[in-house]
Amino acid sequence: MGLQLIDVHKSYPMRDGRKRVLRGIDATFRRGERVGILGRNGSGKSTLVRILGGIEVPTRGTIRRSMSVSWPIGMAAGFHGALSGADNTRFIARIYDRPVRETVDFVESFAELGDYLRMPVNTYSAGMRSRLGLAISLAIDFDCFLVDEALAVGDTRFGRAFGARLARAGLIIVTHQPSLVRQLCTRAAVLADGTLTFFDDIDEALATYNSL
Amino acid sequence: MSGAVTRTGLVDAARMQLRVIGALVIREMHTRFGRQRLGYLWLFAEPLLLGGVIALLHGASGGEGIRSSFEFFSIGFMLFQLLRGIVSRAPNTINANQTLLYHRQVTLPDLFFARHAIELAASAGVMALFVVAGIAMGGAAPDQPVKMILALVLMLLLAQGIAFMVGSITSEFEAAGYFVQIATFGIMPICGLMFMVEWLPPDWQEVALWMPTVHLFELMRDGQFGEQFRTFYDLSYIGWWIIGPHLLGLAGLRIARARVGLE
Repeated sequence: MGLQLIDVHKSYPMRDGRKRVLRGIDATFRRGERVGILGRNGSGKSTLVRILGGIEVPTRGTIRRSMSVSWPIGMAAGFHGALSGADNTRFIARIYDRPVRETVDFVESFAELGDYLRMPVNTYSAGMRSRLGLAISLAIDFDCFLVDEALAVGDTRFGRAFGARLARAGLIIVTHQPSLVRQLCTRAAVLADGTLTFFDDIDEALATYNSL
Repeated sequence: MSGAVTRTGLVDAARMQLRVIGALVIREMHTRFGRQRLGYLWLFAEPLLLGGVIALLHGASGGEGIRSSFEFFSIGFMLFQLLRGIVSRAPNTINANQTLLYHRQVTLPDLFFARHAIELAASAGVMALFVVAGIAMGGAAPDQPVKMILALVLMLLLAQGIAFMVGSITSEFEAAGYFVQIATFGIMPICGLMFMVEWLPPDWQEVALWMPTVHLFELMRDGQFGEQFRTFYDLSYIGWWIIGPHLLGLAGLRIARARVGLE
């Protein structure tokens, strides 16, 4: 087993009543599986990601989790700007029960931050920040990587190394970019009107998505 | 069989929570005091200075005996400092750490537990220092240190329940935080730091004992001075003041968790 959602609903209070974002999601993600979820802007992608990541609790429904799922990669990993990249790495290693020194060593060799690893994260460029987050998530070595939107790693040495690692991992990617799903996933689903529809055939999923 | 599984589950969960709290303590120390090793000493500097100054002022203001002694105010102030430190930091605890909620094993109470552990270390550490200083200056050793430690622990729990409530209220109504800052100093004259119940007129004694902190100061001074004073305290009254705010505060944090926006 892996990650299972049973009749998951999520709504938020608004000025005029409740906004129902997710309306009964049923889904099973098996360990090692590579699933793409396609959704237009405003379809509730971010909400779904946060529910999959266990950051938000559903208003109604059940979630069963029997594999380790990463935090939503691409979102801020909770870095503290005044602390160095290494200190932030240590913190995350501690809360995920990973050996602190080895995690820092891995990030040092992978993130290509050089001396900046010992500098406050405040001084990083957006690209450096993102490399730090991605490198830490790889060091933690989750069963399933939860990816929000596009991964802006580009065709750099880091980008290729990251892509190569991700190509061997379990993956749930939630995005509005069909090309990413075609490139990385073996199964796809479309999120629309608060429900999730799975397709065994990627082309069928893309066709449905494009007709939305 | 299933019992064993459940027990392992509980032990694992407890271990994970301790790990998270430990990591948060280290992170909080780094952000508050910087990365130099000696930076940690600042944790003790603030209460040490405040407590020392207040004790010396009262000592210099005349009066006689224990009533105006260094031990009375310096050690008492640390019990107050524990309450003040915890409650006055509660309003920004959620805001300052919100992005950590991206890691699902970090819960709102964990953020508070970590800060409270630091405040306890500061207050208890400086209190121990003042006890030693008091003896060095020719005072008597505490009569029953266990009672002083119990007073610290109960004050920690009392402050914690209040901090949970303050934290959940201020996460919804930020302005309430200013009131908290004023209130934590405002209660100084009535919290039991400045007086003993025995010294009050009988009518006022009863009123003073409505205040839960008064019981804790009485308990601590019972341990500190022994038979020299008659002390008044009721541990079951304190118990209710710990349980009530904990229940309300934890329920409030549950509601706050569902509403805390992460973007």
